[in-house]
Amino acid sequence: MSLFWSVIRQLAEIEAMATSKKVITREEWEKKLNDVKIQKEDMNKLVMNFLVTEGYVDAAEKFRMESGTEPDIDLATITDRMAVKKAVQSGNVEDAIEKVNDLNPEILDTNPQLFFHLQQQRLIELIRNGKVEEALEFAQEELAPRGEENQSFLEELERTVALLAFEDVKNSPVGDLLDISQRLKTASEVNAAILTSQSHEKDPKLPSLLRMLLWAQNQLDEKAVYPRITDLFTATLEDPSV
Amino acid sequence: MPGSASSTHRPEGLIERLRSAAEDGGEAKLKVLRELKNQIIGNRTKKLSYIKLGAVPFVVSILSSASSSSDSVLVQCAATLGSFACGVDSGVNAVLDAGAFPHLINLLSHSNEKVVDAGARALKMIYQSKVAPKYDFFQEKNMEFLISLLDKNNENLTGLGASIITHSCETNDEQKILGDAGTLKRLINLLEGTTSQRDASLESFATIIKENPQVISEFVGPENGRTWGTLIELTKDRYPRTRLLACICLILIKNAVPSYLQSIGIRTKLILILLELIDDSGQVGDEALFTLSRFIADEECLQKLAFEANTIDKLCVLMQKELLQPKRLEGMLMILANLCSNLECCRSVLLQSPKLHTINIITDALSHAIMDVRFAACICLKNISRSVKYLSAGHFMTEAVVIPLIQLLYDTSTTVQVAALRAISNLVIDFTMHKSLFVQNGGVKQLVELSKSMDSTVRLNAVWALRNLMFLVDNRCKEGIFLELRALSLTSLISDPSVFVQEQALGFICNLVNGSVDSIDYVFAEDALLLNAVGRQVWSASKPEVLIQGMYVLCNVSSGKEFQKEAVMRQILPGASNDGAQSIMVAMLQSDVAQLRTASVWTIVNLTIPTGAGALARVVKLRNAGIVSQLKNMANDPCLDVKLRVRTALGQSMIFGDFST
Repeated sequence: MSLFWSVIRQLAEIEAMATSKKVITREEWEKKLNDVKIQKEDMNKLVMNFLVTEGYVDAAEKFRMESGTEPDIDLATITDRMAVKKAVQSGNVEDAIEKVNDLNPEILDTNPQLFFHLQQQRLIELIRNGKVEEALEFAQEELAPRGEENQSFLEELERTVALLAFEDVKNSPVGDLLDISQRLKTASEVNAAILTSQSHEKDPKLPSLLRMLLWAQNQLDEKAVYPRITDLFTATLEDPSV
Repeated sequence: MPGSASSTHRPEGLIERLRSAAEDGGEAKLKVLRELKNQIIGNRTKKLSYIKLGAVPFVVSILSSASSSSDSVLVQCAATLGSFACGVDSGVNAVLDAGAFPHLINLLSHSNEKVVDAGARALKMIYQSKVAPKYDFFQEKNMEFLISLLDKNNENLTGLGASIITHSCETNDEQKILGDAGTLKRLINLLEGTTSQRDASLESFATIIKENPQVISEFVGPENGRTWGTLIELTKDRYPRTRLLACICLILIKNAVPSYLQSIGIRTKLILILLELIDDSGQVGDEALFTLSRFIADEECLQKLAFEANTIDKLCVLMQKELLQPKRLEGMLMILANLCSNLECCRSVLLQSPKLHTINIITDALSHAIMDVRFAACICLKNISRSVKYLSAGHFMTEAVVIPLIQLLYDTSTTVQVAALRAISNLVIDFTMHKSLFVQNGGVKQLVELSKSMDSTVRLNAVWALRNLMFLVDNRCKEGIFLELRALSLTSLISDPSVFVQEQALGFICNLVNGSVDSIDYVFAEDALLLNAVGRQVWSASKPEVLIQGMYVLCNVSSGKEFQKEAVMRQILPGASNDGAQSIMVAMLQSDVAQLRTASVWTIVNLTIPTGAGALARVVKLRNAGIVSQLKNMANDPCLDVKLRVRTALGQSMIFGDFST
C-alpha cells in the first residue's frame, strides 16, 4: 500500500510546484521508485490472499511451501468451497446445498436471499431438464412459502415459473434464467457467503490495488509527464512522451 | 413415475425413519439425520411442520445415546437441533423441552473440534432467541464457564459466550458483575479477532454498558484510550454490520455519560455513517434507521446536525423510490418525527418537498396494515403540526389527513389511539375555519366516546383533544361539541380520578365559556351543574395545574352578567354554615405559583368592575373575607403580571372608599 501513498505524496508535491506539466525522466522516476521499500512478506501475503480468495488451492499450497507464507484460512476449506461452487456451476444444486450445510449450517439458515436463490436455481435446473411436474411441485412446496415471506422473492419466483409458459424458452423474455450466466451468478453468491462466514473478504485485494494504481496515474497525468504503466500484465514503464 | 423423487421426502415418511433410527440405532441414523437437517435449514415452513410432527425429541434421543454414537452423528444431531432453534421460537422451545440443553453443553468439551463447533453453534442459536432461559451470572460456576468460553481460541465458543451475555444481561447488577469478572476486557480483546468475533463482541459489549455510567467510566470512555480508539476505528470498518455496532456502542456511551462524545466532528461523522448504512437493504439498514432515530431523539443540537447532513432530503428520496418494507418505513417516519420535534426548518423542508410527496406518504402510512407504522406516522404528524405557521395556513385540516386520523381513534391498539389523539390535539388547535371538517367527519363523537375510556391515558388525551378543539371555535361547533359531551359527563371528568384529566377537563370548560358572553350560560345549565363542579374542585384540589384551570373558569364566568358574577362570589366565599372558614381566594393569592395568583387576581378584577350594579356589595364581601387586605400585601409581587392586576383590583375596590381601619 506504501507504493500508492508515495504516488499520492508525489502528486501533492507536484501540485504545489508548477502550473505547467512537469516532466519526470525515467532515471528520476526509477530512483524514486527504488526509494519505496515494500516488504517481500507483504507482497507474498497479497499473492496468497489472491490465491485463497479465488480458490486456487493447489497453487496456494505450493506457494505456501515455496514462500513460507501462511494462508489466513484453512486450505482444506478452500477445497470444500470450490466443490460447492463447482456443484452449482454444473447444475447439481441439491448437492451444493448439502455441502454448504455440512460446511456451516448457519450460512443458509441466516441468509434467506441466498437460500432462495439456490432453491430458485434448483427450480431452473428442473425446468431445464423438462421435469415439469416435479418443477411445479417443487415451486409450490419449497419456493411459494418463501415468496409469501418476501415480496421481491415472489416476483423472482413468478419470473422463474414463467419459464414453463413459453415453448421457445431461449427466446422468451425470461430466457436469461436458463443461461449459464445465471448458474455463475448463483455460484458466486454462494462463494461470497462462504467466504464471509469464514471471516474472509469476498474479493481479493490485488485487483483493487491495481484499480488504485490506475486512478493515481490518471490523477498524475493532469500534472506531469512520467513513465507510466499502461500494460498491467507486464507492468513495464513506458518512456514519457514529451 | 413423476413426482416419485420428492415423495420420499414427505415429512411423515422421514419421521417414521427417524423414529426407527432412534430406536434401533445403526448406520441409518446418519443418513436420516442429514436428510432432516438439509430439509429444514433455511426453511421456516418445514421447521414448523417437523416440530409439529415431533421430530425434535427423536433427534435429542439419538444425541443422548452419545456413547454409542460416532462423532459425525453427534455433529448432525447438533446441527439439526441448531437449525430447529434458528429463527423459530417454537423450535427453541421444542429443543429445550426435549432436554437437549445438557447434551449440547457436554459436546463443548468433546475432543473433536467439529463436534465442539456444532454444539457451540446450536447453543448460540438457542441464546439468540428471546425465549431461551436466562443465564444466571451470579452463580460462580456459571461465571467461570462463561469466562472460559470467552478465553477459548474458537470463534464458535467465544460467539456462544457473547450470545449468552447479549441474551441474559439486563439489570445494572448483572452489568456490574460481568464487568468485574473481566468480561469487558475479554470482549475488547476479541474486537481484534475475526469478523464474526468482532460483531458478537460489540453486541454483548453494548449490552453490558447500556445505560450504566458506572461500568462505562470504569472500562471505557476517552480516558480509557484504547477501547475508545478501537471503537472509533471500527466505525470505519469494511463491514457494514461492524460499523453499525461500533456506532451503537459509541452512542450508548454518550447517552449514559453525556460528557463523552461532545465533539461536533465525531457526532456529525456518526450521523453520516448511519445515513450511509441506511442504504443497506437488509437488517443493518433497518437497524441503522432506528439507531439514528434514537441518537437524535432527545437533543436539539443533534437534530440540527442531522438536518445539516441532509437527512430529510435523503429520506424523502428513499421514501419515494420504492415500496418500503414496514420496518424501514417505520424507522424513516421515526427519524422524521424526531427531526421535526423542535426544528421549524425541518418541518419546512418536509412540507415543501416536491408535490407534497412526503407528507402524502406520511398520511398514507396512517392507514398502514402494521401497527408500528401507524403509530410512527401519528407521531410524525404530531411533531410536524407543531409548526404554528403551517398549522395556521390550514396545511393539515384536509380530508386526506383528518379522515384516516379519525379512523385511528377506532384502532385496536391503545398505543395507536393515544398517538392519534395527540396528533389530533395539535391539528385542531388553531384555525376556526376548518374545525367543522373534523366535526362533520364524526371526530367529536369518537373523541367523546374515548373520553369515557377505562384507560386513563386514552381518557386524558381524548379530553385534551376536545379542549384544543374547543379553543376559539365558532358557536355552532361549540354547541355541537357540548351537546355530544353533555354536562353530566363533563362533571364526572372534572372530578376524574386522574388529576391530569381534571386539568384538561377544566381547561375544556375554560375554552367553552370563553368568547361570546352567551357561552357562559353553558356552565349554568341544569342548575349550574358545571359551575358547582368547578367550585368543588377549586376548594378540594391540591395540584396547582388543576387549580389554575379551575380559577380561569371562574375568571371567565365572572366577566359575565351580574347574576353570573354573584354565582362566582358564592363559589369563592365560604357558605353561611361555616362562617369561620377562610375564603379559598386567600389561599390562592398566597400560592407560590405565579400563574395561580394571576388567575385569582384576574377573577377579583372581573368581580369588582365598578360599573356593575352589585359591585359595591361584592367589594364589601371581599373585604370582609380578608381578600382586599391580602391584595394590599401583594402590591410588590415578584411577578409583574400579578403586580399590575393587583393594582387594578385595589384601584377598583378603592372607588367605593377605603373602609379599612
